[in-house]
Amino acid sequence: MINLVEPLKIAFTSLLSNRLRSLLTTLGVIIGVAAVITLVSMGEGAKSYILTQIGSWGLGSNSITVQPGVEEASMPEMTMTLEDAIALRQKVHNLQYLMPEFVGRGRLVYGKTSYIPTYSLGASSDYPYAYKQKAVEGSFFSAAEEAGRKRVVVIGRTIARKLFGEFSPVGEKIKMNGIGYTVIGVLEEKGSLMGMDMDDIALIPSTLSELTLGVTKIWEMFITVNDESQVPQAVADAKKVLIARHHKEDFHIHTQQGLIDIISNILNAMTGIVSAIAAISLLVGGIGIMNIMLVSVTERTREIGIRKAIGAKSRDIFVQFVFESVLITMSGAVIGILVGTLAAWAIMSFLKLEAVIAWGAAYSACLVAFLVGTFFGVYPAMRASRLDPVEALRYEV
Amino acid sequence: MSSSTVVRITDVTRVYFMGKVEVQALRGINIDVFKGEFLSIMGPSGCGKSTLMHIVGCLDRPTSGHVHLDEVDVDELDDNSLAEIRNKKVGFVFQTFNLLPKLNAIENVELPLIYAGIGFDQRREKAAELLGVVGLKDRMYHKPSELSGGQSQRVAIARALANDPSIILADEPTGNLDSKSGDEIIRLFQELNQRGITLIIVTHDQEIANHSKRIVRLKDGLVVSDLPAGRQAIS
Repeated sequence: MINLVEPLKIAFTSLLSNRLRSLLTTLGVIIGVAAVITLVSMGEGAKSYILTQIGSWGLGSNSITVQPGVEEASMPEMTMTLEDAIALRQKVHNLQYLMPEFVGRGRLVYGKTSYIPTYSLGASSDYPYAYKQKAVEGSFFSAAEEAGRKRVVVIGRTIARKLFGEFSPVGEKIKMNGIGYTVIGVLEEKGSLMGMDMDDIALIPSTLSELTLGVTKIWEMFITVNDESQVPQAVADAKKVLIARHHKEDFHIHTQQGLIDIISNILNAMTGIVSAIAAISLLVGGIGIMNIMLVSVTERTREIGIRKAIGAKSRDIFVQFVFESVLITMSGAVIGILVGTLAAWAIMSFLKLEAVIAWGAAYSACLVAFLVGTFFGVYPAMRASRLDPVEALRYEV
Repeated sequence: MSSSTVVRITDVTRVYFMGKVEVQALRGINIDVFKGEFLSIMGPSGCGKSTLMHIVGCLDRPTSGHVHLDEVDVDELDDNSLAEIRNKKVGFVFQTFNLLPKLNAIENVELPLIYAGIGFDQRREKAAELLGVVGLKDRMYHKPSELSGGQSQRVAIARALANDPSIILADEPTGNLDSKSGDEIIRLFQELNQRGITLIIVTHDQEIANHSKRIVRLKDGLVVSDLPAGRQAIS
């Protein structure tokens, strides 16, 4: 029976008696592991930040986006119309919300104040649900008002402040590009997304886009279905409807999952590169450990002789030295995980983001460190265990 | 073989190579050591005393011949079994003490007990008891660097006694000590011998050999005399 506790204690004592050397030996492992943990924690943090941002804009995994043009074109020809949107609403299975964006430029005039918001959109009555932005004063326009071409406008908080100051704009008459509208609602504040003011927006019924904004083509269409699992069906339905109407595929469809996949792929590729660098660092660290272990075996030839003379078996010596090597790499991994997590936390708090503790990477770092320690410890340990006791006892340091 | 034979050495030879030169360290040694004996092995440098000691202590194997230890033919054993014999049946005492410098006295004494698989409490108790026997009860937690030569050698003797071995083998145990400490060590050996412990001492010092009960003289790898200690003066 091999008792593993005693050799572990022996190895531990021997490492502690050579603290500086043990630390320097494991530095390669510490740096490698810390680098991976830092970058993976930051990557995970960035990923969760991006996903939260996407989620806050209402885009969930049950949504698809239809955009004009074939995917690669930078300035696609816009071909989708209001009729296309109506057809999709009728024919896509399990459709929950449909929100076409008719993007134009609208000059708003109230009394003597005139203002051009960043976004003037022809929208559907699904807007507050699809984009998760409700009207907090007044109300959004209804499907009936949209279909009935009611001249009503819903504005964001920025416009409300610009045109009306502290007064409630609901019920006020304004002009958009010279056409009279009644303000029926103010949207809840969204703040800015990636530096753009999402509250600088005016929304009119999609049916009035051509009249008011001079826009007949849809910039993009946002569709949600009841459940994530229905997304592939919805994509197929939308394709079928649009191809039937356009006689060609002059549009492309993004799924939310696709976007998340792209982001994940980028982050995973990053992690992969970092892991490759870490693997090299661990390999170099491992060779360094083997080198030091070989030196240590030579230095401690006499100790090995003494241990053998008083009854240590070759196996006992072997286990002792492998344990030393594994202990060195494992403690390097643990220190590396602590340092890496702290570094990630410091950098992310500096960027005002949240770091995510990279548990997965931490577990694999420990596993890899264990394997490196074992692999590079075996040869020196074998040399130690094979020493002839008489020769070893005669060895002069 | 008598049941009281602890070591039986039969026609043992040992040949080794120093570079390409063949050295005949032992040329055919026959010695029986009985239980309770206190034997000195004497001879000039290079006569093969240390080689013989290593073979008796199972650190080395003879080129030919047989060694029986406690009636076990040790040349039939593999390395692991030899390690077990060194651990349980043999206690070594070296000229240079050979304590582990990073362990304190009691930890050094515990080492053979660790390799014998004895648990912490039991071995600590045993080690403390043995340090008491060698008169170092108050030095248990001192490192070898904090002990005098005589004290270090006593720790080494306590370590040799740890597993209640059949025989203690001491290779020039007083060689690195001043005469006072050396005398103390010899007296300790005599005491242990009186308790029934079998001892073999390698020495080139007649004074020390005179304290044992039997003296074997080696020359050029052969036994030249094997007499009780009282009759040595004649040769």
